[in-house]
Amino acid sequence: MEETPKQHYSEKEKNEVFHGEFLPHISSMYNFGYRLTLDRDDAKDLVQDTYLKAYRFIASFQKGTNAKAWLFRILKNSFINDYRKKTKEPSKVDYQEVETYYNSEEFDRQITPDLRVESLKDMIGDEISNALNSLDVDFRTVIILCDLEGFKYEEMAKILDIPIGTVRSRLHRARNLLKEKLTHYAKSMGYKNV
Amino acid sequence: MTPSSNPFILADGRKPNCMEMLQLILDGEASAKQQDYFKSHMDTCMPCFKSFHLDMSIKELVKTRCCGDQAPQSLVDQIKMQISQNNPS
Ligand SMILES: [Zn+2]
Repeated sequence: MEETPKQHYSEKEKNEVFHGEFLPHISSMYNFGYRLTLDRDDAKDLVQDTYLKAYRFIASFQKGTNAKAWLFRILKNSFINDYRKKTKEPSKVDYQEVETYYNSEEFDRQITPDLRVESLKDMIGDEISNALNSLDVDFRTVIILCDLEGFKYEEMAKILDIPIGTVRSRLHRARNLLKEKLTHYAKSMGYKNV
Repeated sequence: MTPSSNPFILADGRKPNCMEMLQLILDGEASAKQQDYFKSHMDTCMPCFKSFHLDMSIKELVKTRCCGDQAPQSLVDQIKMQISQNNPS
């Protein structure tokens, strides 16, 4: 993204890119902002800030390339640099530990949780959303990018500034944590046979 | 390549285990060939069959329950206004 040569846009072209390629992603951006901050007002601020930055740095954006990934990256950076500093959000999980986990024999052990598809079907309220929100923000983020927004490993690596191997291990761990939460919900909902 | 060769085999010749294959499928990174291979693999591998259905159900649920919020119109208007103010044309 940094290596992209500066583009020369006329005012008219800038507006075309902004309205045609940036604004269509605003609902995805808003949802991402909300899932990161867990606050609708903060999400609005973050999205607004992101769009103003995107416009200011539009010369770094190459027309017709992946605008969505570019915008997500700006939002993620704003979240880390501007928002996270102001809040008490706990700092990053120990990724060393995560890598070790992934590379250990633990990974080869097939984890077949007791959770059943049938008990998921009864989670018709906010259980799924709450389970996602309860994950550490870094784990939440990879689930959002992959499952909600359909980004590929390579795109996620660029958005998050981490190697693809870390994307994979983080996703793997995030899915397991989410499953644990859901199993817990299923049990508390009174399934004898989750 | 023989028709029966495993499309999951890595560049270094190592054959990924069940969980690694499943993850590529879940993460949307598997090629069409890999998906086909995994489908027939599930016929003979019960843990993969069970995990696949559970994990895909969770993925689908996350997608339907945690998405779909439209950005508020006030936010869209605010952004448009700020852009046009910064750039009187
Ligand atoms: Zn298997």
